[in-house]
Amino acid sequence: MAKRVAAIIKLQVPAGKATPAPPVGPALGQHGVNIMQFVKDYNERTAKQAGMIVPVEITVYEDRSFTFVTKTPPAAVLLKKAAGLETASGEPNKKKVGKVSKDQVQEIAQLKMEDLNANNVEAAMRMVEGTARSMGIEVV
Amino acid sequence: MNKWREITVFTPREQLDNVAAIFHELGSGGVVIEDPAFILECIRLGNTETIAPTLVPTDEETAVKAYFPCDDSLSERLETISLQLGELSLRWQTGEVCEEDWATSWQSYYKPVQVGRHLVVKPSWEEYNTAPGDIVIEMDPGMAFGCGTHATTAMCLALLEEHLRGGETVCDVGTGSGILAVAAALLGAGQVIAVDLDEVAIRTARENISRNGVDDRVTVLGGDLLNNLAGVKADVLVANIIADVIIRLAPDAFAALKPGGLFIASGIIRDRAEEVRQTFLAAGLEPLSTKEDDEWVALVGVKR
Repeated sequence: MAKRVAAIIKLQVPAGKATPAPPVGPALGQHGVNIMQFVKDYNERTAKQAGMIVPVEITVYEDRSFTFVTKTPPAAVLLKKAAGLETASGEPNKKKVGKVSKDQVQEIAQLKMEDLNANNVEAAMRMVEGTARSMGIEVV
Repeated sequence: MNKWREITVFTPREQLDNVAAIFHELGSGGVVIEDPAFILECIRLGNTETIAPTLVPTDEETAVKAYFPCDDSLSERLETISLQLGELSLRWQTGEVCEEDWATSWQSYYKPVQVGRHLVVKPSWEEYNTAPGDIVIEMDPGMAFGCGTHATTAMCLALLEEHLRGGETVCDVGTGSGILAVAAALLGAGQVIAVDLDEVAIRTARENISRNGVDDRVTVLGGDLLNNLAGVKADVLVANIIADVIIRLAPDAFAALKPGGLFIASGIIRDRAEEVRQTFLAAGLEPLSTKEDDEWVALVGVKR
């Protein structure tokens, strides 16, 4: 019989830099997952994406074994990288802090297609553009 | 015990990434996304027979949780968070958590496990009826890596059992909980040097070495890989780390081995195994055998 799923945990953690400290520690520890095992697995699997924030979905079974899948980095993280920004705008409506091109938006949309609930690249691009606006990044 | 301030921001789903980004910029080291709608969707799409009752969300609100240490920088961070969340008109709350709240909860699921032919890894708080021939390793890994149940550790333990004959000098690089160093000593190694960079690991390894009564043969040193071990010549060098570090370590491992000595390297994800094998060859280590378990590979190289 298949193992029963006891919990599903979603985290966003810097690639290759997970530690047993929060947020990983409390999120996994409360479900009885061996924190250090996850840290080792996650860091090895994401080592090549260093510098990115990588979302991860962890499935915890009743015997406390676990599996996880990593997702594409959040659009906000990819947009900041594309615009060469350290931080987004605190007042996105009044203060624009950077620019990205349509091509860059399309590139991000294509990368994120598998994780976005979008029917086509155009719809995915509109989602990415929405995120850009909310961060004070102009699409030119 | 370390204390942390937990910040929970309740947010519409479409704002999740933006809220998370605020915390990433403040150096939270990541966030937890509480997304009940996502879990309900997983349940709806999956086989409901495989769902434990604990999976069903009790809360309906979507939230982002982040943590910051309760230190001098906390009040400044909270001010910044307050300003940025004010812009987004989101509700948020804070609480306090201690390391002891989460650090040991997995221990109740950690049970004695047999590894290799004779080795048994036994949590120090568990009972175990020893069978003839068992070599029992008593462990309390605390917050250090290496409790024996991970495939990468289990393969190293089996390889140590396969290759140690007695009297060898063994170096355990990145010892973590000290499990491989203890195993080497219990398997008959004459001298074991265990190294780690992390203070928690060094302390934990020393405790586990004492717990197993092998203090006379195992020394734990602080240091980065082999940097503090100039002049050491080992019969066996074991390292359960990750592919990148194994690759970096290979030339130094060659230098630290006696002719005929073995480098047992684990923690290598399958995709990188060939790259590590090539690094072994370039460093003068002839690949001798490979072990695989799920997505992990352990490689043994010999210095000819």
